[in-house]
Amino acid sequence: MLPVAVDAMGGDRAPGEILAGSLQASESGIPVVLVGPEGLDGTGGLPLIPASEVIEMHDDPAKSVRTKRDSTLVRAAEAVRDGKASAMISAGNTGATMASALLRMGRISGVARPAIATPVPVPGGSPTVLLDAGANAEVQAEWLVQFAQMGAVYSSRRFGVSNPRIGLLSIGEEPGKGDTLRKEAWELLSATNGMDFIGNVEGRDLMTGDVDVVVTDGFTGNVVLKTLEGSLKAVVKALFSAFGQPEYSDAANTLMPALLPLYETLDPDTYGGAILLGVDGVCIISHGSSSARAILNGIRCAKEMVETDMVGAIRDAIAGTV
Amino acid sequence: MAADRPAILDIVRRHLAEILEIDAVQISEMQSFRDDLGADSIALIELVDSLEQEFSASLPDFQFDDDDLEGLVTVGDAVDYVVRAHGG
Repeated sequence: MLPVAVDAMGGDRAPGEILAGSLQASESGIPVVLVGPEGLDGTGGLPLIPASEVIEMHDDPAKSVRTKRDSTLVRAAEAVRDGKASAMISAGNTGATMASALLRMGRISGVARPAIATPVPVPGGSPTVLLDAGANAEVQAEWLVQFAQMGAVYSSRRFGVSNPRIGLLSIGEEPGKGDTLRKEAWELLSATNGMDFIGNVEGRDLMTGDVDVVVTDGFTGNVVLKTLEGSLKAVVKALFSAFGQPEYSDAANTLMPALLPLYETLDPDTYGGAILLGVDGVCIISHGSSSARAILNGIRCAKEMVETDMVGAIRDAIAGTV
Repeated sequence: MAADRPAILDIVRRHLAEILEIDAVQISEMQSFRDDLGADSIALIELVDSLEQEFSASLPDFQFDDDDLEGLVTVGDAVDYVVRAHGG
C-alpha cells in the first residue's frame, strides 16, 4: 500500500513523539512518509515530503489553509490527493486538519458535511462511535442522518460490528424529547431504510455497549467527549490515589492485573484518535497531546481503513440514499 | 475579458449549491452566506477555492485576497469580487 502521510509537526509533543510513533509503525511493516521541514532531526531514515510551514494550534483553521499553503498539514492532505500517500494523520490543529482534508481531498459526492467520529471506550465491548465530535457546531437534521450512515460504516469496518445500532443523543429516550433539531432528526432517522435506528439515547448510554453509533451536533459531541475525558481521568486519578494508601497496597497488587487492561481500554491513546468521515480519503485526527503510542495506533487505524476501503463503503452508503 | 455579471452569478450559485448540497434556485444575490444559507467559514473557503479554480482559465492570476474574505457577506459580494477581477 501507499505510505501513510504523518504530519511530523502537529501536536503538543511534536516532533519527538510523532517521529517515535512513526518509526514504530514503520518497524511494524506499515509504510510511512513524514511531512515536515527539510533537515528534520530524528526521522530515522523515513522518507520526508518537505513542508516549510506549520499551522499552529491557535491559527484560524479555514484561513490558515490558504495562508500557509506550504504547511505540513496542507502538504499531507495534498499527498493523499495526489496519490503519494494512502491516508494522512495529524495531532495538530483539529479545525485546520479538517479544512486541509476537505479542501485538498474533497468531499465524497452527496455528503453535506464531513463529521469527526470518535471511538468512545466501552469496557468489555466494542467502542461506541460518537459523531460529530466537533466538525460542525450547528447541524441540520438531514446531516445527522448522513452522520448515522457514515458512522455505521466506520463502526462496521473498524470494530467489526455487523449491524450497528444507531442512537440519537438527546435528553430522554422518548421520541418527543429534545429540541426541534432532535425531533426532526428522530423522524428522519426512523424513516430511513437500511439502518438499525434504536431511537434516542442519553449521555449515560455512551459507555454501556447498548448502542454502537451515537449521532449529535458537533458542539454537543465535543462537550460530551471532553466531559468523558475529564471524568475518566478524574476516576483513574482517584483510584490510583486510593491504591497508593499503605493499607490498600496488598489489595492494589491483587487487583492491578485486572485493572491495567481496563485502563488500556479506557486510554484514548489505544484508539489513536478520531477520523474525519465524508472526505474523499482517510484522515485521522489524533489528540493534541498524542504520545508515540497514540500515533502508532492512529497509523494502524489509517492502514485498516485504507485496506477495508472505508471511503468506498461510505460512498456507496451515501449514493444509496441521495 | 468583459464581465458578464449574470453568468458569473450563475457560476457562483452553482458552486455554492454543490458545496451546501442545496438547489441552486434557492440561492439569491441578497442572501447572506452565514445567516441565510448556513455557510460556515470552511464552506466559504471551499467556495473561494472552487471559484479560483473555475476562473483560472479566463483569468490566470485570479485569486481572492485573504484580507478581503471577511468582506464577503452576501452572495452578491462574491459576484462583485469576481466581476471586478474581470475588469467589470
